[in-house]
Amino acid sequence: MVSKRAAKLVAIGVIVAGTLVAESKKEYHFSVGPRAGVSVMNPYGSISVKPSLNNTVVVNAILHSDRVEVDNNQNGNRVDIQSHLLAGADAESGRVDYEVLVPADASITLHSSTGSLRAEKLHGDVNLEGAGAAVDVRDVSDAHVHVKTMNGSVNLDNIQNGHVEVDSLSGDVTLKGVTGPLVQVVSTSGRINYYGDFGNSGEYRLTSHSGDIEATIPEWTSADVSARSVRGEVHDDIPLQPKNHTWFAIDKGRAFAGTMGRVAVSSTVVLRTFSGKIHLRKRSEKQ
Amino acid sequence: MNCVELRQSLAEVEDAGSVEQRTHLRACPACSALVRDLDVIVRAASQLRAADEPSPRVWNSIEFALRQEGLIRPSRSSRPPVPSFGVRWGAARWLVPAAAMLLLALGIYMRHESLPSQLARQASVAMPVANPSDLNDDDLMQEIADNSPEMKTQYAENLRQVNESIRDAQGLVDEAPNDEEARRSLMDAYQQKSMLFEMAMDRSLQ
Repeated sequence: MVSKRAAKLVAIGVIVAGTLVAESKKEYHFSVGPRAGVSVMNPYGSISVKPSLNNTVVVNAILHSDRVEVDNNQNGNRVDIQSHLLAGADAESGRVDYEVLVPADASITLHSSTGSLRAEKLHGDVNLEGAGAAVDVRDVSDAHVHVKTMNGSVNLDNIQNGHVEVDSLSGDVTLKGVTGPLVQVVSTSGRINYYGDFGNSGEYRLTSHSGDIEATIPEWTSADVSARSVRGEVHDDIPLQPKNHTWFAIDKGRAFAGTMGRVAVSSTVVLRTFSGKIHLRKRSEKQ
Repeated sequence: MNCVELRQSLAEVEDAGSVEQRTHLRACPACSALVRDLDVIVRAASQLRAADEPSPRVWNSIEFALRQEGLIRPSRSSRPPVPSFGVRWGAARWLVPAAAMLLLALGIYMRHESLPSQLARQASVAMPVANPSDLNDDDLMQEIADNSPEMKTQYAENLRQVNESIRDAQGLVDEAPNDEEARRSLMDAYQQKSMLFEMAMDRSLQ
């Protein structure tokens, strides 16, 4: 009995030691100018991007085995990082986790199939794509934010003056405090949640096929709202001034349209789903 | 001329191309199929010239792509705007025309739908890919099975859902051809499918 336990412990120890030996850390530094471009392509593993203190790009990579290596290239003001899978690499052995520091005005492009993608405190363009990657973007301003996922969840928090486009097939999408001239979310079956006030004079389009859409807004919001579910239901907790003309017939329980707040600064809001539910909620004081 | 050289010289293919290109294309079914696909796209694109003004999203995407490539930022690098077709996309090249065809076919279809109804009906009948919701689905799944078998179930489920959304959106457009939002829903559904193809292409490259 004792010898069996001892053998197990030894085996576990060997595995852990092997993993530790195989795991390695790499660090790269690049000097760049204003508005640099940084891209990280990583088939397996996470990528996190934060602002650096000066005009340098710092890449910290944790490689989970020797079956993957990091290719890096600087071409002028552009830095390209790519995980290079070697023969026999799979989702575990090919995994690399990146922590990247970039100048806050840099444009970033991140690709990962399975790991999480995270970007924060930037004001350059953000382009994130991943099949199953969970995406988290926060505290970004004056930038294009484009996100594409298949089934990964998407969270955008505090995006100001953004051109925001999110395409998700089945992942849930949550927007908190996201405003700008264009905010568009398209999802096939994922749920879409919006928390915020729809900014000033922007265009907000939240569209799904079967996913539910819920917008929670404060009472002082200024918006011209149209909502329609072809086969599902709509609910409106906020009294809207009815519109004289709409692009669809107002079928009670399936659609509503109206305005609220100050017309001069109101945003255009279109909520549209085929079979999901739409709910326009009033934000309570606690939220 | 081999396959790589041919693909690198694709931008120079005009009409019948050079003698070397023609010789290679006669002997290589894969390259000739690729050139045929590109010809279809070029011909289809020429029909879109008179189409309605694209949505702001299209311009937004173009602007974004140009910014990403540094073309509208003078301080950026001199990276070429379009990577070599063959080198960049290699074996996954079929996914590119497939994804492009999805959007082009829809663009042509939408344009025809906006014509007077009788003409539109005739045009739709004439369109070989007026309902391309099943375009290359098998190829897509085969690509995933070859390169990312662990993702096959997820891709299959998402493909099913997006095809369903295309069918539903198509039904709405058929019911109300002048409903701008219905047409937009159809466009969105196709874009979602196009995205699925793009992701499969990215995985092939990995």
